[in-house]
Amino acid sequence: MQRLLPATFSIVGTARKALSHEEYREELHAAVAQHSRTRPLNEEVWHSFAEHLHFVATPDDAGYEELRRTLDQLDFALGTHANRLFYLATPPPAYEPIVKAIGEHRLRGQTGWARIVVEKPFGHDRESARALNEVVHTVFREDEVFRIDHYLGKETVQNILVLRFANGIFEPIWNRQYVDHVQITVAETIGVEERAGYYEQAGAMRDIVQNHLLQLLALVSMEPPAAFDDKAVRDEKVKVMRALRPIAGEDLAKNAVRGQYTRGFIEGVPVPGYREEPGVAPDSRTETYVALKSWVDNWRWEGTPFYLRTGKRLPKHSTEIAIQFRVAPHQLFSREALAGLEPNALVLRIQPDEGISLKFGAKVPVQGIRIRAVNMDFDYGASFMVDAPDAYETLILDALRGDATLFTRHDEVDEQWAFVDPIIKGWAESPGGPALYEAGTWGPVEADNLIERDGREWRKA
Amino acid sequence: MAQGVVVDTTFWGARQGGVAALERELTRLRRAQSAHARELGRPIARASVLNLIVYADREEHARRAARSIADLALRHPSRAIVVLVDRGAREGLDERIEMHCRLPIADGARLVCYEQILVRAHGDVEDRLASAVIPLLVPDLPVFLWWTGTPPLGSRSFGDLLRLTDRLVVDSADFARPEVTLPIIANISEAARGRFGLTDLNWTRLTPWREIATAFFDVPSWRLFLDGITGLRVGFAVDMDGRDIHPSQALLFVGWLASRLGWRPLETLAPSEAGGLLFAIARPDGARIMVRVRPRFERGLEEGDISGVRIQAARGRQLAEFVVKRQPSPRHQTATVLLDGQPRWERTMPLPSPAIVELIGEELSILGSDRTYEAALAALVELA
Repeated sequence: MQRLLPATFSIVGTARKALSHEEYREELHAAVAQHSRTRPLNEEVWHSFAEHLHFVATPDDAGYEELRRTLDQLDFALGTHANRLFYLATPPPAYEPIVKAIGEHRLRGQTGWARIVVEKPFGHDRESARALNEVVHTVFREDEVFRIDHYLGKETVQNILVLRFANGIFEPIWNRQYVDHVQITVAETIGVEERAGYYEQAGAMRDIVQNHLLQLLALVSMEPPAAFDDKAVRDEKVKVMRALRPIAGEDLAKNAVRGQYTRGFIEGVPVPGYREEPGVAPDSRTETYVALKSWVDNWRWEGTPFYLRTGKRLPKHSTEIAIQFRVAPHQLFSREALAGLEPNALVLRIQPDEGISLKFGAKVPVQGIRIRAVNMDFDYGASFMVDAPDAYETLILDALRGDATLFTRHDEVDEQWAFVDPIIKGWAESPGGPALYEAGTWGPVEADNLIERDGREWRKA
Repeated sequence: MAQGVVVDTTFWGARQGGVAALERELTRLRRAQSAHARELGRPIARASVLNLIVYADREEHARRAARSIADLALRHPSRAIVVLVDRGAREGLDERIEMHCRLPIADGARLVCYEQILVRAHGDVEDRLASAVIPLLVPDLPVFLWWTGTPPLGSRSFGDLLRLTDRLVVDSADFARPEVTLPIIANISEAARGRFGLTDLNWTRLTPWREIATAFFDVPSWRLFLDGITGLRVGFAVDMDGRDIHPSQALLFVGWLASRLGWRPLETLAPSEAGGLLFAIARPDGARIMVRVRPRFERGLEEGDISGVRIQAARGRQLAEFVVKRQPSPRHQTATVLLDGQPRWERTMPLPSPAIVELIGEELSILGSDRTYEAALAALVELA
């Protein structure tokens, strides 16, 4: 709707079920009318867009043959040179057969480029991710594979790199000398909704930590890349992922907490507990909350812990990264004056209320010295007065342009699983289950202990 | 069908469907306001230095609080969350919580915008109230909880909200039985030491009385009488029929002196004539001090306000009396010092009678705990 697509293109939908072109267009029309950022929908614009929409059912080999013929015809008619982007919005088990079918039925064109976009999760552990990779690589080269983590498409996530590397004042203090610790929070208010079948198998560790949380961690902790291109940026991310200290054995009980929500209230409305959700086993041990204390073992971060937490049915929908700095080395003000002072913190709010704030102590305007922590706020919405593009818009356009900077490379996925696998394995082998927390609270008390043990506390997100 | 009381949307803003919708609406309002301001060449800053939760169970109190917050916007721009709980909602009406929001423009403060949210709860919402308030808090800003009326000690919603709070603001002038409630609150605050501070607007009203009492003993030759206090009388205002007795301000004054001068309890508080209290306290040297707290009817005073203080002291053979009296219309105080019955010094000073908005404004500038107040309360607890 914003004229971002090239002059000639076509979108061919495919699924196992049969739909006519018209039915497919109607389905999309309804979806776009409901979700587009530019509402109400301009019907004129829609009509010109809808001409590019086609549908082919692929329940079997004959269907794939039909798909190939359709694609060839469209190429011929539009002069698109067989440039093809395959987008897999399917459940993970379907990835392998589809990729194989793309290979067998020669759906890659003869002349142009071919790329494939794969949704998360990529595999369910390191081994399965490697196996899936092998299958994908039989049809696509690594530079043709675009593993989507939609967090990377968010403006504020990209802005982490801009903040760190386009400015001169942050990088010099972005290290163990000045940073006391880092907190990364991905909090959701929703429960499992209709995804119980998937979530029961995945849990918060695979659903959020393995991809979103570790991506945020990598962007915050990585070394400056030499260039802003897919190779340089992803090389640095992989390096920092390799430096992540594994949590296993004795460390597991100390540095990792899993939780599961029980019934409670969200925004004043009663919600069921996880085990009461449809499709969830009544004795499920799936974790809906994870808190971790992790270390990046390298020169820059030695001794600075990274606290990560994510959960469902937390009181507030919020994603943020907080860099908490060390306190002033010598305090000249009295204890009373300092009562309102808190350590300096730089907070990157990913959602909602996208923005950045810096907290510092200021003198309260009264007689005598009284210090209060205040926030200097940068608010995306109020400063730029535009809605940020949706993460998927950004990423799909990037994939069309062939820019893989914001996509996950195979070695990154591999390192992510290498960190996550031992934790999941350790939990599976331990006799206990997840600690329970009431829906609408900030997670189990064990998670508070995890950080309070170090004399720190979770931020009020 | 049963209908709840309709909320005045011109005052409270339009009703919103949930927190996400409410935040979107606030963003929209902020943008509209700042676009308008840019046209006028006066950009608006979104400012908030604190979250202020106001708890009220009557709309009238909620409105009064909201107006006070509007007056405070320049000094303490905030996100104000006014929680109005209608516990006695009519039968047939489910427990429910609605939210309204608005960006009021404070008087003369067109450059600052602050946010006002009404959380209106019907019926028994004890268990769920906090879950509606938490997502509305601006992250990382201190949370003040201003509880109008007597806090329902032991109630779940009070406890839940208290856990979010950095500072609890109450007004013991509103407490039905301050001699019972104050010590309990003192205990809660003591137990929560380091987690939240406690403030009493009634304590703030006491400031001019504490100032003048301190000023007496700044004079070097009178200072010597501090160790020889033998009696203390504090009067407080009641209405004509003497029905409503609110001795909390007077008691806080006694508690303050006791904590500063190291007085120990000798007898517990005992009721005396007409709702007054009469008891003895021991000085550090063990001597008895008779304390009399008594209600007085005086025109033009708010019930519970201190009407006068008399401190009696002896040093050797010399007797001294330090007297402060509140004079009605125009409001002022006279302070008198009598030595051996002879007036030796007299001074008249203006006596501010701050509106609630000034009291709360004063308190919002303090984040840490007020040790002097806590000590005064602790002394009171020992006496009770």
